[in-house]
Amino acid sequence: MQSRFYLSLLLISSLVLLTFVAIATYSALTPEWKQYQTEYKDFLIKNAKDEATRERAEKIDIGIQQIYLTSMKKADRCTSCHRGVENPLMANAEQPHRQHSGNYLENHPVAKFGCTICHRGQGQAMNLREAHGEEHTHWDFPIMPIKYIQSSCALCHDFEMLKHEGGGHVAKGEEFFRGKGCRGCHKLNGVGGDLGKALDGIGSRARAYFPMKHVVGDRTIYNWVKQHFDDPRQIVPESEMRAFLTGEESDLLTTYVLTFTSEQMPRNYMLIKNIVMPRTDGESLYKMYCIACHSDGKASIYDEILKRTIPAIMNPSFLKAIDDNYLKKILKEGRQGTQMTAWKVDAAGLTEQEIDRIIEYIAKDRPAAKTEPFDVAKFKADVKRGEELFNIRCALCHGKKGEGDLGLNLKNPVVQAADPAFLAVTVRDGRAGTPMPPFGKDGVGLIEQDIADIVSYVKTLSQKKL
Amino acid sequence: MNDMNDIKQTGLAKYIENLKSLKSSFANSFLRSGIPTSDKSRTAVVVNNFFLHLHGAKTHINTLRPSYTLGLGLISFFLLVIVFISGGFLMVYYSPSIGTAFNAVKDINFVVFGGKLMRNVHKWSGEAMIIFVLLHMARVVYTSSYKRGREFNWVIGIMLLVLTFVINLTGYMLPWDQLSYWALVIVSNIAAAPKELTDIFGITQYFDIGGATKEILLGGTEPGQDSLTRVYLLHIILLPLGICIALGVHFWRIRKDGGLSKPDTLVGKGSGVASISPPDKTGGIFPTHKTYGLMELARGRTPAVDNDVENTVTSWPHLFIAEVAVFILTLAGVIAYSYFIDAPLKEFANPAIPENPAKAPWYFLGLQELVSYSAFMGGQGLPGLAIAGLLLIPYLDREPEHFGIWFSNKQGKMVALESFVIGSIAVIGALVFVVNFGWFRNWWPNIHQLWIIAINPGNLLLGFVVAYSLYVIKRTGSTRMGAISLFTMFLVSYVILTYTGTVLRGPNWEFFWSSSQWPVH
Amino acid sequence: MEGFSDKRVVRNVARTCLTFLLMILMAALNRTNAYSEDGDSALGKKIYEERCQICHGTNGDGKGLVGIIKKSEKSGRVLDVRPRDFTTGVFRFRSTPTGCLPSELDLMRLVDVGITKSFMPPHKDELSMDEKKAVVAYIKTFSERWKDEEPCDPIAVNKPGWVGSRTSVEKGLKIYKDMKCWECHGDDGKGKGPKSNEIKDDWGNAIPPFNFTTGALKRGTTPEDVYITFTAGLDGTGMPSYEDSLDEENRWHLVSYTLKLMGAVK
Repeated sequence: MQSRFYLSLLLISSLVLLTFVAIATYSALTPEWKQYQTEYKDFLIKNAKDEATRERAEKIDIGIQQIYLTSMKKADRCTSCHRGVENPLMANAEQPHRQHSGNYLENHPVAKFGCTICHRGQGQAMNLREAHGEEHTHWDFPIMPIKYIQSSCALCHDFEMLKHEGGGHVAKGEEFFRGKGCRGCHKLNGVGGDLGKALDGIGSRARAYFPMKHVVGDRTIYNWVKQHFDDPRQIVPESEMRAFLTGEESDLLTTYVLTFTSEQMPRNYMLIKNIVMPRTDGESLYKMYCIACHSDGKASIYDEILKRTIPAIMNPSFLKAIDDNYLKKILKEGRQGTQMTAWKVDAAGLTEQEIDRIIEYIAKDRPAAKTEPFDVAKFKADVKRGEELFNIRCALCHGKKGEGDLGLNLKNPVVQAADPAFLAVTVRDGRAGTPMPPFGKDGVGLIEQDIADIVSYVKTLSQKKL
Repeated sequence: MNDMNDIKQTGLAKYIENLKSLKSSFANSFLRSGIPTSDKSRTAVVVNNFFLHLHGAKTHINTLRPSYTLGLGLISFFLLVIVFISGGFLMVYYSPSIGTAFNAVKDINFVVFGGKLMRNVHKWSGEAMIIFVLLHMARVVYTSSYKRGREFNWVIGIMLLVLTFVINLTGYMLPWDQLSYWALVIVSNIAAAPKELTDIFGITQYFDIGGATKEILLGGTEPGQDSLTRVYLLHIILLPLGICIALGVHFWRIRKDGGLSKPDTLVGKGSGVASISPPDKTGGIFPTHKTYGLMELARGRTPAVDNDVENTVTSWPHLFIAEVAVFILTLAGVIAYSYFIDAPLKEFANPAIPENPAKAPWYFLGLQELVSYSAFMGGQGLPGLAIAGLLLIPYLDREPEHFGIWFSNKQGKMVALESFVIGSIAVIGALVFVVNFGWFRNWWPNIHQLWIIAINPGNLLLGFVVAYSLYVIKRTGSTRMGAISLFTMFLVSYVILTYTGTVLRGPNWEFFWSSSQWPVH
Repeated sequence: MEGFSDKRVVRNVARTCLTFLLMILMAALNRTNAYSEDGDSALGKKIYEERCQICHGTNGDGKGLVGIIKKSEKSGRVLDVRPRDFTTGVFRFRSTPTGCLPSELDLMRLVDVGITKSFMPPHKDELSMDEKKAVVAYIKTFSERWKDEEPCDPIAVNKPGWVGSRTSVEKGLKIYKDMKCWECHGDDGKGKGPKSNEIKDDWGNAIPPFNFTTGALKRGTTPEDVYITFTAGLDGTGMPSYEDSLDEENRWHLVSYTLKLMGAVK
């Protein structure tokens, strides 16, 4: 009577439907975490030492475990698989059953802290791949490798305390950060140079923020930061960042940099034992902001990355020629046309006092003897002759048009605005500790008229086009 | 005592009797006229049932030929039913706030029992609707079913198509992940596309229709909580309501317009017909050579009024068995697909990190390809014209012949094939040209935007499609052939452009053979 | 050994053939040494004093007023760049075999294009041909070697077509390992091999091995430049000549591998 076609279609479809409903129900009933919990329970029952323990083990309910962190609106379900995390019996078990190492949980009970505050990963997820935030799971904060884990300590604790109480790595990293002049190029909390990117929140930035193309291994921010420290140009080919860290140092610094998260921890998690005032003495400030480029400041160095010679700012011969006011002007306004940042409070963010302290530190070795003055006004300068002399004597280092290479960029407004007498003294006496030789009678042997001519020509360089 | 016993016995006996006849008594109460045993009672089942009476009491066997309708309309409807049910399930857990939406979806995926499957079912059946609605439209076009009083139902059908697109799109926004956010950005920019035109005439500051549309959609100038609220409202109330109303009218018009289309002369014992048992004429109460009905009461066309009763069967059970079979097939297909393939969920929406390429959902990527030529034409002009063209098909092709026959005749098949080949060549040719040589902006960077709005590959393509179908009409002397050609080319362009936008376009909308060649960021 | 003696014979023949020219040259050298009033030597001295002396020193000992230039490489390594000491007559960038004086052409080329990585500026547009010849002649007065020795013939360079091919790169890698190039230049070619900190040049100063990944040799980065370096060595530094320990084909294979390290081939 009825269509055989539709009846057989109905039959086959029903069978397919039932099959898939059955499969789907089965897989919904047997999730990964349930298997782990069963294993855990079985293990406890099997290894129970006495009847009471066995009974307790048998009473364990198998179900989703969740720690809800009210103040952070975060749900950590990690213990659904890692149920043995607080159980001393599981000290030597295989993951995911193993007890947490060390005594961290004594002061950081799982019920209050959950897991992802320290370890990151996706607390909501209920399977290993997504919970650990492996690649292609679209989770920005995968499980943090243990070697950087101390970065999480610094979210709530001060470095003084960490130094002595189990946070040595991150405290060391912080010291490196202060001593390596990172903020000479990078802003943090609004203070720092602007050659590099600001570091605020770098530890909690989304994965997509980082150019992962050249990262070896998993494309996580941890690997990015670490490998970028090891060889910046390997990760970002056009980077101007310095490479001066050995493998272990870059691990420590990575740990520290990961503490720059954008969100503040809630107050009930914070524990600050020591209020450590930021160090504001000249030396500390110099190390924080200047040392990356100027190193010890004793000798000038030609830098292949910046493509110029970095002046030796603590060299006595430099200090002899330059007074504090002039130094202060350079520090505050920077040097246009070079990588020297303007450090005044509304640019790189250093206060007047901080700049004064840095200058005090830089100028501590200034010799008492003044330079022999050079009376430029005495000579009638010949710019034309100055140019001839310049091309032979100076262009070698300072470039044909004064654009600078090994030598300084003479078109620079600071140089152009400088007192001619000051320039003449520099040409005459040179700058010990740098390639700039004395051109006066003690050196190359130019007469004062020659020097005055050269200086007059140098003063016209700003009009020259490249 | 005896009496008592008797009463007791009769009481119990009655109870047992009732218990025994539970099946038939329930069936009799459920079907108002009882379990049907004759054609009359089978008719009564349909007529007396609130839901079933949407069907005719008797169904023409052509309607039941699987090879005629392919069940596409039914599948689309059942997908909608599945979407509604699974959507209701998801609504229980979802909360439309940008602070909680993402986590709610995560929780549906991770902890709600069967939640992941439900979400997949909702997502995939919704997107499958787009495909099946389009296929259903193709069936209607190729069998001339938009004629003889069905013209307006075609219009309703187009409305349903548009609603299907929009409801899918709004659903795409709800998880508030990166995909949602950047799709919303793109869509709101498409909404703002008339700005391109108003800018040219310098009237944007007085009459910013694009900007206003965008602001109404987003509830601000960029996606945020207000946008989510609006999109949610659209997705769960306004659009479903719209679909229900349009669908109601759509179904009612099918009945009122004379049921499903069928050829004037049924093609005898053709392949498809063989799968339907011939009508049982023995048990009927109606004389086979006469029709009785309510048609005297009802005005206008009534079911089967001008058709022979020869080729009809009672809808109960023949039609209903078929419908149930298709429903189960649809459900099985959706669940099987959803078991294997998960609905995507990316990172939490982050306005600071644009997805590159930021893509709309796949069914709009054909449009996005056109938008890459000109925002206004691609986003609004061309789709508007395409929809207008589709709407006009039944009014411009009024040839009554070959009604209800796939491709009308041999010539129709040839025209369809030819349009398929030529349409593909035209679209692919245009794409190859654009990818290799670029367009005006690449050649003359300072060219006035009006030129690009007027002349861009999308416009040229549309012009070509229209011109070609006019040429077909001229050549064959048949508007029907023109309709086949036009629709074929529309479908081909949609498919190829969508494929291009989905697979072949990478970061910065540049051409790549596959996403595996995209440069790693 | 046979090849070696052959070369000797050729060299002797060449020497005999050039006796006449040699005598003229000797006379010329004698004259320059005598600081005669001849235009050329006076010109050479003038140019040297104006342009060279400031780095290379009055006596050509490389101790000019500029002194040592500190340079920080991209890899973070800090080098001391010292001007060449002409008094020993030892030069790195020669086209002649190891132990030989450079050819006139070699010196002219250095004056012409400079060694920009070491701040030796190019003088192509600064000096005329006569001036360059004069200053090269003047430089030769600083070392007695120029009086006693003859420059040797330049090394022949014929680059085979397969240099840079994949098989050649693989063979080169094997040679890089077998010849212990990595001891100085490191496994990754970054110049940080286990012995890289021990190397001293002829003047006793530490000299770090080349970091191939920078891609820029001082001499020039063509395959031919690399080949000459392998064949002639860099006299005065830790880089020996491999003319005798590797045959020509293998030296070219090594060139292929270093091109890969420098990123010139894939």
